Amino acid sequence: MRHPPYHLRVNKAVDRLALIEAIRHLEKLDDISAYTYYGFGGPYLEEFRLLYELYPRMRMVSIEQDEETYKRQRFHLPCGTLRLEKAECGSFLAQYEPEDEKSIFWLDFTGLEYAHFDNFMTLLGKVATRSMVKITLRAEPQDYIGSDEAEELRLAQEFRRRFEAVLPDASASPPVGFRRFACLLQDMVQIAAQNALPGALPLMFQPVSSFCYSDGTGMFTLTGIVCARSEEFMIRSAFHGWQFANLNWAKPKVIDMPVLSTKERLHLECLLPCSGSAGAALREALGYLIDRDRRSTEAKLKQYADFHRYSPYFVRATP
Amino acid sequence: MRTPQQPHYEPVSASPVKSFFVSMLTRDIRLEEAILDLLDNCVDGILRTNSHTSDTNRPYDGFGAEIQFGKDSFLIADNCGGIPWGLHNYAFRMGRAHDREADAPGTVGVYGIGMKRAIFKMGRHCLISTQNGDHRYEVEITPTWIDDEEEWRIPVSSAKKPLNQDGTTVFVGDLYPGIRKRFSDDAKAFKSELMNMVATHYAFIIDKGFAVRINGDVVKPRPTRLVFHKDAGKVPAIRPFMFRTKTDEGVEVFLAVGFTRPIPSQDEAQSEQEEKRYSSLDAGWTVACNDRAVLYCDRSELTGWGEAGIPRYHTQFTAISGIVEFRSDDASKLPTTTTKRGIDASSALYLQVKNKMREGMRIFTDYTNRWKGRAEESRRQIEAAGEPLAFEEVKARAETQGLRFAPTTRSIPAGLQYKPELPLPKRLEPRKRRISFVKDEEEVRVVAEYVLRDPDTDPSMVGEKCFDLVLKEARR
Repeated sequence: MRHPPYHLRVNKAVDRLALIEAIRHLEKLDDISAYTYYGFGGPYLEEFRLLYELYPRMRMVSIEQDEETYKRQRFHLPCGTLRLEKAECGSFLAQYEPEDEKSIFWLDFTGLEYAHFDNFMTLLGKVATRSMVKITLRAEPQDYIGSDEAEELRLAQEFRRRFEAVLPDASASPPVGFRRFACLLQDMVQIAAQNALPGALPLMFQPVSSFCYSDGTGMFTLTGIVCARSEEFMIRSAFHGWQFANLNWAKPKVIDMPVLSTKERLHLECLLPCSGSAGAALREALGYLIDRDRRSTEAKLKQYADFHRYSPYFVRATP
Repeated sequence: MRTPQQPHYEPVSASPVKSFFVSMLTRDIRLEEAILDLLDNCVDGILRTNSHTSDTNRPYDGFGAEIQFGKDSFLIADNCGGIPWGLHNYAFRMGRAHDREADAPGTVGVYGIGMKRAIFKMGRHCLISTQNGDHRYEVEITPTWIDDEEEWRIPVSSAKKPLNQDGTTVFVGDLYPGIRKRFSDDAKAFKSELMNMVATHYAFIIDKGFAVRINGDVVKPRPTRLVFHKDAGKVPAIRPFMFRTKTDEGVEVFLAVGFTRPIPSQDEAQSEQEEKRYSSLDAGWTVACNDRAVLYCDRSELTGWGEAGIPRYHTQFTAISGIVEFRSDDASKLPTTTTKRGIDASSALYLQVKNKMREGMRIFTDYTNRWKGRAEESRRQIEAAGEPLAFEEVKARAETQGLRFAPTTRSIPAGLQYKPELPLPKRLEPRKRRISFVKDEEEVRVVAEYVLRDPDTDPSMVGEKCFDLVLKEARR
């Protein structure tokens, strides 16, 4: 099975580190070493490696259905606290019985299928209270743009038929722009969460962050916590003040990191964090444009200012 | 032996108690359905006005209703003529008096319970403001009135401000905790569900000009559509089965059943079942009474699936849809339940019509079975027929193409029907054999990449290409 180089994707790496930051906020409420982390680590098990560095006592489970990738994971196994499970996500969730054991679950899907929402709803109904659930979905409006009008109509109809159960307006066509498409996905996740945990139940799904980004393919991701309705204020307080918190289902934040050399990054980092107009301040510090014009350069540098702490360094190394 | 003296029995009270209406009746109906009842009242209001035009295709043009809900209140406001003062005894009474004179033709209110049940379903405080001609008045239901078992009269006062147009506003406050949660914690999911229900159950009415907004968003209709070949003389061709009749009691019936899209390939039918993609949602029967859909895309025995020779619904039949329309000036003759969102399955009229529904359905289940394994050829025929049509367009095309509706005097019910002649597959030549097999998805992608350089190629094409390559090799 072929995989893109997940571990070299800048925006995905930022999103991964934002998850770590979210877990740190969760730590204000609970002992994270009592949690079990579940994820689809892919061949390189990148987030497991990272989590092991930060939380060496945390139990971890990787879910992988592809035989060859599973073998590759065994080759890359970073630590003894990680258990590799060869299973399809739906089958794994059918067997998953956490009882009171808290989980951090990353449903890191690469596509967009109704079954993903189904899995998400199943999971929300099963996890112990104060568990964290993150879902990632493909956000590519191009998938629904046809070569002609008839094709476009067919694709829009197919989209509506597939996702009708979680669409805010099952008569509407999927939006064309990436950000609007990501907003629609967030609405769909919110509807799925409300269907899984309706107001009549004592549990709820409280969002804590949401992002959209593209490393070649558009993705949307949302993280939230399943908690008792009576704990809502406490959960919100734990995340209050976090720069990237999204506690009210606001629009997802865009991650669009600029490509900067190590020398440029070191030059800029001594100015960070900076108050006021960070994009303009960093552009002035560089003294040149790094994108097509001044506006887009400042927008990119603002992204850098926002996410620089999460931005990975990719350097050439000789083994 | 002395006979014990019998006590004197006083007459017992059989008078209604308010809690029956306020707490019990409301359990029989879903919140979404209760709100649809309020919309029904809006449309009945239009039918009572003189300004609606029943002889055009869009009799509800210019009329509409706006629904707003939030954590504290629910509101529905319409411009549909208001409640005539002459109807106050009916509109605000619990139930319909037997001596009440007939309502305007086409209305659906029968039991006199819809609006009150919807209000009591949601909350304990309600203000109804209405304007009809010279009458402008308000009726307020308070928690005190609800709790008082003796008081059955509701005070009426003159409305202070005139409305721009005749219409009614129903405001419900003091919401029950469960309703408040649905309007706040579940607001997104509830709005989505309500929009969906209005878009499907009110598809005919919205298509005819009625406008509905929910928390600011316009609801677009989602009518069931049927493929109807665009060329008049083409035979055989994909067209729906149609049947129409008028009963002795004055109920007009029109039904049409056919394909709403190309039939699925075996792979598509299988994957739909496995992936639960929900694409079956618009398959099945929709039943409309006086333009309101009382049943939407039903695929159960209620509409003939899985009984009397018709197979049970299966994802291979995802392309089959049907619509039945019942129309009557007297709503009590329509085969609906009290909630108006269900069919009275024991209605003699409905049972007779169901015979015809099954008869029509059989043509299309049979076609699907005959073309099994040749979905691509069938797809071409169905796509060549043109865009599928909404129900009124189906009726209109049947007229314009001058299709012959033959009398069905020997069947019950008697009426006129059009039975389409669908294309039949040519029989496979005797020397030909079918090959089908199942392989791992990833392996199919690998082979597709290898033989056709496209991992996303349809699996049947991959299999066929492999066979052709090996055959070529074998014949060398």
